[in-house]
Amino acid sequence: MEFKDYYQTLGVPREASADDIRKAFRRLARKYHPDVSKEADAEARMKEVNEAYAVLSDAEKRAAYDQLGRGYRPGEEFRPPPDWDAGFEFSHHDFQGADYSDFFAELFGRMGTRAHGEDHYAKVLLDVEDAFLGATRQIALRAPKVDARGRVALETRTLNVKIPAGVREGQLIRLAGQGAAGAGKPGDLLLEVHFKPHARYRVQGRDLHVDLPVAPWEAALGAVLRVPVPGGALNVRIPAGAQSGRVLRVRGKGIPAEPPGDLLLAIRVVVPPADSAQARALYEQMARDMAFDPRAGA
Amino acid sequence: MSDDELITLEELTVVCAVSAEWVRERVAEGLLPERFDTLAVRRVRRMRSLERDFDAAPELAALVADLLEELDALRAHLR
Repeated sequence: MEFKDYYQTLGVPREASADDIRKAFRRLARKYHPDVSKEADAEARMKEVNEAYAVLSDAEKRAAYDQLGRGYRPGEEFRPPPDWDAGFEFSHHDFQGADYSDFFAELFGRMGTRAHGEDHYAKVLLDVEDAFLGATRQIALRAPKVDARGRVALETRTLNVKIPAGVREGQLIRLAGQGAAGAGKPGDLLLEVHFKPHARYRVQGRDLHVDLPVAPWEAALGAVLRVPVPGGALNVRIPAGAQSGRVLRVRGKGIPAEPPGDLLLAIRVVVPPADSAQARALYEQMARDMAFDPRAGA
Repeated sequence: MSDDELITLEELTVVCAVSAEWVRERVAEGLLPERFDTLAVRRVRRMRSLERDFDAAPELAALVADLLEELDALRAHLR
């Protein structure tokens, strides 16, 4: 396990005041805010910043960390001495183990064992195709567990989860009895479904949005096109005179939920290049023979 | 909105790491909707982190969440 320098993460000296630490945290929280940050690794950086602040903003945790961290360099292999936390009273148990690093969990994860089972939750990333076909996913969950000596260590559990077809972005799947074990009945596990970004497909609610490139003659004359969709392909009729930006709605062909969503095809007319004598001749003939001014009325 | 898209108060508190009391106060103030769906999950997470990270008043956190939701809609429209 690597030692983490929380002061370096927040960019403050070791003797920084609580006020300085709060200011540094807020500056970084704004910089890496997931909704506005332009930084590529904003989410990962925000996690590190949150973890550092969780320790340094809490006087008890900060004192323990300072005592322990003396002499360690960031990235250095780190082993906490046994029972290092004796004599420290941690009164806040307001963290979720899954959000923090192994380093944090090793130091502070032994606090606050639960009296009874709690509901836990985890995010699961799926491919868009999985919403159409259903899927089975292996999910590794880390949760604190008390050993025979009463110490808490992180335990990894692997679950095979069946994802039903028709699942939607943001949907919660409840797995009874798979949450945190406690003295009583175990809690449930809530899985929150999200889709990985896809080059062609975009999911919005139950609807599936797909970009549909068409040739100028397909758009002008109308056509029946074979459109690949997750798990197969559909024949779709393009009306004559279709223009770029027009959206065709195919009812009931989106996410196969109950009721199913729609498939939305955004037409994009692609102009073939005039890269041969024949292609040039065709364009020149159109320019001569077709009375067409795309800027008429502009 | 059909009922199968709604989530319970208890589920909301688990996935967003907030207390039921925190949610009830903000529903009573009109800062959160009375019925919860996946959009409410996103809204609760945003408001929670704004309140926690910047000591934002709940009303200010809700205002920022409103703006971010409008930004989401505009970004979706642009695609």
